[in-house]
Parts: sequence; C-alpha cells; structure tokens
Amino acid sequence: MTTIETTTIGMNSLEMNNLKKSPSLLLDIEHLSVVFGEGARAFRAVDDMSLKVKPGEVVAVVGESGSGKSVTMMALMGLLPPSATVMAERLNFDGKELLTMPAKAKRKIIGKDISMIFQNAMSCLNPSFTVEMQMGEVLTTHLGLRGAAVRQRLLELLELVEMPDAKNRLRVYPHQLSGGMSQRVMIAMALACEPKLLIADEPTTALDVTVQAQIMDLLSRLQREKQMAMVLITHDLGLVAQNSRDVAVMYAGQVVENSTVPEIFETPAHPYTEALLQAIPELAIGQDRLNSLPGVVPSQYDRPTGCLLSPRCPYKEPACEVPPPILDTPNGKVHCIHSSLPDHPTRTTQTATLESET
Amino acid sequence: MSNKIVLKADNLHKHYQVSQGIGKGKAFVKALNGISFELEAGKTLAVVGESGCGKSTLARQLTLIEQPTSGELFINDEATTNYSRRDLKELRTEIQMVFQNPYGSLNPRHTIGYQLTEPLDIHTTLSKEEKRTKVHEMMKHVGLRPEHTGRYPHMFSGGQRQRIALARAMMLNPKIVVADEPTSALDISIQAQVLNLFMDLQDEYHTAYVFISHNLSVVRHVADDVMVMYLGKAVEHGPKEAIYNDPKHPYTIALLSAAPTVTGHKKELTLQGELPSPLNPPSGCALHQRCPYAKPICSEIEPELREWDGRLVSCLRLEEIYG
Repeated sequence: MTTIETTTIGMNSLEMNNLKKSPSLLLDIEHLSVVFGEGARAFRAVDDMSLKVKPGEVVAVVGESGSGKSVTMMALMGLLPPSATVMAERLNFDGKELLTMPAKAKRKIIGKDISMIFQNAMSCLNPSFTVEMQMGEVLTTHLGLRGAAVRQRLLELLELVEMPDAKNRLRVYPHQLSGGMSQRVMIAMALACEPKLLIADEPTTALDVTVQAQIMDLLSRLQREKQMAMVLITHDLGLVAQNSRDVAVMYAGQVVENSTVPEIFETPAHPYTEALLQAIPELAIGQDRLNSLPGVVPSQYDRPTGCLLSPRCPYKEPACEVPPPILDTPNGKVHCIHSSLPDHPTRTTQTATLESET
Repeated sequence: MSNKIVLKADNLHKHYQVSQGIGKGKAFVKALNGISFELEAGKTLAVVGESGCGKSTLARQLTLIEQPTSGELFINDEATTNYSRRDLKELRTEIQMVFQNPYGSLNPRHTIGYQLTEPLDIHTTLSKEEKRTKVHEMMKHVGLRPEHTGRYPHMFSGGQRQRIALARAMMLNPKIVVADEPTSALDISIQAQVLNLFMDLQDEYHTAYVFISHNLSVVRHVADDVMVMYLGKAVEHGPKEAIYNDPKHPYTIALLSAAPTVTGHKKELTLQGELPSPLNPPSGCALHQRCPYAKPICSEIEPELREWDGRLVSCLRLEEIYG
C-alpha cells in the first residue's frame, strides 16, 4: 500500500501550509438533503448527508447507482434543475456559505476554486469547438487572460496532463481525440485555475483498465503536486483502496459509514459495506459463489420506514424499524444500531463448498 | 463430466471493409486475425481485452450473426461455413447470446412473457399450455416471479432485465451461451447476483459459456480457460490458474497490474500510450510500441502463439525474458 503512505506524507506537509490562512475545513457539508418533486411524489435523492474535506485531502465517496453521490456534488456546484429542493444546515466552502450566496458571486467560485471532472469526457466536451476554444474560455472568464497568454497557458496545461503531441492537439475537435485523451483535456480544463477542490465524478469509468491506470496515476500525482483537495466519487472499491485515505459509503441517499483506508477493508462496520466488499469477485477467490445481498436499492415508492437497508440486511432486528442512530466507531462513524458488525449465523465464508467445481 | 467439445474455432478471421472518404479507396479493419480455441461442454472460456480488441466481433462470429472472412467454426463437430439458411436456423438453437446492455437488448414494446415465448414459437411445436409452463419454470429459475410475465421491460431494474435476457437465452436449452460483457452495466452487488445465477444455470444445464469481459476479477471468478486478446489476436491463452498466478505475456501482466485491487497492489508493468488503430496496425508484434520489453526485432517479425509453461503465448522474447 505504498500509494496510501505517499498520500499521507503529502497531506501532512500541506496541512501545515494551509493552517496559517485557511480554516481547518475546506468543504463542510452538514445535514444536506436534496428532494426532487413535491408532495406525495417527492423523492429524497440525498437524505441528511454530511461530508467534511480538509485542504489537500482526498476523500472517496463510494456507492452504487442511485445512492446520491453525484447529486450531492451537483447540489454543491449548484448544477441541479429547478425541480430539486436543496436543504442544508451548512454548505460551507472555504469559509463561505454557498447555500445563501447570490448566483453571481457563486459563479466566481464554481469553475475556479471548485472544479469538476465528469464521468463521460467524450460527451462533456462540446463537439463543435476545438480544444483550444473550449479550454481557453475558462482562462478568459476566470483569470482574464487574452491572446498569446491563453495559448501559452494551454500548452503548459496540456503538457502537465501528459498529452502526447500537445502543440498540435490545441487545434483538433473532440471527435479526433480518444477516450483517454478527452479525459486528459477535461482534467487540464479542471486544473486551469488551480482549484482548491477538485471533484472527480467517476473519472475513469468510461476508460479501459490500462488507460484508467494512467489517468489515476496522473490525477493523484497532480493532486499531490498542486496540494489540492479531491473528492473522488466512484463505485470501484479498488480505486478507493489506492487513492484515498478517508471514505464515505453511501446507500439510498444516506452516508451509512465513514471510515479510513485500509481499516474499512479489514473491519467494515456497516452491513452494507460488508456486502459491497463480499460482492467483489477478487476477494472471493476460491469460493464457489459470491456472497450477495438479496433484492435491490429501494426506489421512491418502496422506501422502508426505518433503516433503509433493513429489507436486505442479514442482521435485521425488530429495532431496525425506526431510523438508526449515528454511532462512533474506532475509524469513523456508522449509521446503524450497532457500532460494529454483530456475530450472525449467516456470516460464514463459503470456502467449504468447493466440491462442485473440482 | 463429459469432455465433448461443443464449440471449436479454427483460425477465424474477420475483416471489415471501410470507406476512407470519396476517392480515397477502401481499407480493411482487421477485427479478427486468426482466433482458434476449443470449448468443452459445461466449461467457460473467458475472452478478455480492452475495447477495440475484437471481443465483440468474435461474439458475432460465434453466434452465427456474421460469417467470418476466413477460418472455420465447428459447433458439435460440424463445420458451419457452408450451411444453408435453414440449417443455420436449426443450429441457432444450440448457441444463444446474452448482450451487454439489458436496457437495449429487450424490446420495450413486448411483454416479458412474449419475449420469453418467442424462441419456443420459432423453434418448437409445443402447445400453448406447454410453452406457458416452460416460461414460468424458467422465470422461477432465474429468480423472477412467474406472475410478472405480463409486465414490460421498463418495469424491471437492470439486474432483473439481465436475468430476463439470460432466461431468454436459456429457453431452448442451448449447448453454448455467448455472453458479451453481461455484467458491466450493473452495480457491484447486483453483478454478484447475476454472476451467481450464471454459475447456477451452468451447473444445472451443463451449458458451455463464452464469457466476454474487460473485467479481470469477474473473469477470474467464472472462467475455466482464459484467452487474452489484443488487436484481433490472442496473445495468451490457457487455464485460468496459469494465467492469473503467473502471467507470461507482457500485455497480460500489464492488464493484471493495471486493474485496481483492494488487496495490496503490485504495479509490475504500466503500458505507455493507447491502443493503436486497427485500421493501421503496427508491423510485427502489435504491442511493440507500448511494450517495455520491445526490441527492434519485435517491429519486424509477427509472433505466433506457441506453447510455453502450460499455456499458449505469442511473444518473440519469452526466452530472453524468462530464460
């Protein structure tokens, strides 16, 4: 786990740097809820979510589709449609309250101090403009650069993201770039104004594994060099293990567990975290079948009253009928009636059932 | 377990003609360049590679959707290239396919019951009642409620749809099922459910699977044999244990070390650059521009698959690398 050690070292020196001027938290989300629609048809996409990010730190948000991880970040950026109602006790970035900030002031921060990389780089770039035109826009808007200065900075940025043949790439259109190169352009664009916080929303999901490895190496190198904070949104626990120190696991709009790497892999505290780990084929080598949770994530109409996982949870008790408390664990917090996983007859590894395969 | 070979590919090639624009002539994309393998009943062959390596083209040749440019495909020891349309129709009952995207592979305008009955309508002469019992039985097998036959695909989640797609493929009790990235559109906990279902059905019906995936850890769980493809060719092909525990081809090593793992990570080899265009493949070994072991000879001579340490590998420099 060398990657984790290096991240920690980078973070420590940086924390000292930042303590002088910045508040101790760069991003402070407290009790955030996002509701789509109104009345009986209202759907809680994010439910009472809290997330804290220190300057220069990497926090991973893990969850399956529909768990609300992207909606949280869209709410932060103010990118949600008018049908969404955003409520929060605190939505603080760098000491400023984003929730009540006027749109004009917010535009000065979004794209400059907070920037975002989206999942599908191919469709996030405008197909009718060259790389130079769309990347240059950021520099003109936020930094007021003009003419040759823009071009100079763009070349620096493309070289920073290790774009092959950077000089000639400025004039090309997005369809002339491969998936990996489009993602490099997106990263270069996100880093153009040296943001304090980078939100990477599934940055490598659309890429092949060998290219994914290159892009993740690039992202974590830049994160360390630029000492910027990063929120890594992913469904891949492998990426979490290699790239972050703190993890928040989300399920159906709630953070069910906060923990640290590598502790979360050794002693998961929430049944859902445990189930996610057991569903990874890599950890089930030698087993005949994968352990899987029955059923699916609850939808708008079949949301249980108490703990949201309770219909699928192997440890279900009568006490799960009411919303569970948030308890402290040795490594963080857990949204469950137990602060550690209880012993349960269903919790057995299936290594004994190998006969049918051999 | 019987050792009957149900599917055999012999030096399959598939070249697609593409236009390069007006007056610029034609070019060929060599999507498949000599793929050979044998698959026994009840076994799983996993085909692994990145996008553009020809995995899905291979799936289309195997399921008789397209005719290969050259080479021969044997199903149950019978060569298929010179079959008439009628014979092909009969043969298709033996080989079925599950597609990657369950949102696109089910017809949104037909009920699930209709879509599951359709294979029986086309290929069997069963009575209405018999068909219905068969459909209900299959739905129970894949973990769906039989009373849901009247529902439409949009009323099901992604995982349930993939169960339906698998049920449809299994309706005629085929000897071979080709699954093209069947779990890549699914969440991880749902993926585990669907993978378990694949294995349960294999135990029960003794079906042979060709399992196409880019995800190495999924493949490790389901496969017996693994074939790693790069730019239309197999670069390493052998038993699962050999390939995972001791990969020999530089590309296999790179694929294995590139995949992020949750259990400690050893980064042995990182490839430079990206997959070259299949329109204009590199000379010699297709990997030589990205391979850290490449020598000048690699750009001149095209390596052939050869026996090495219990599997087939195509690399010129095995002797020098491994002694």
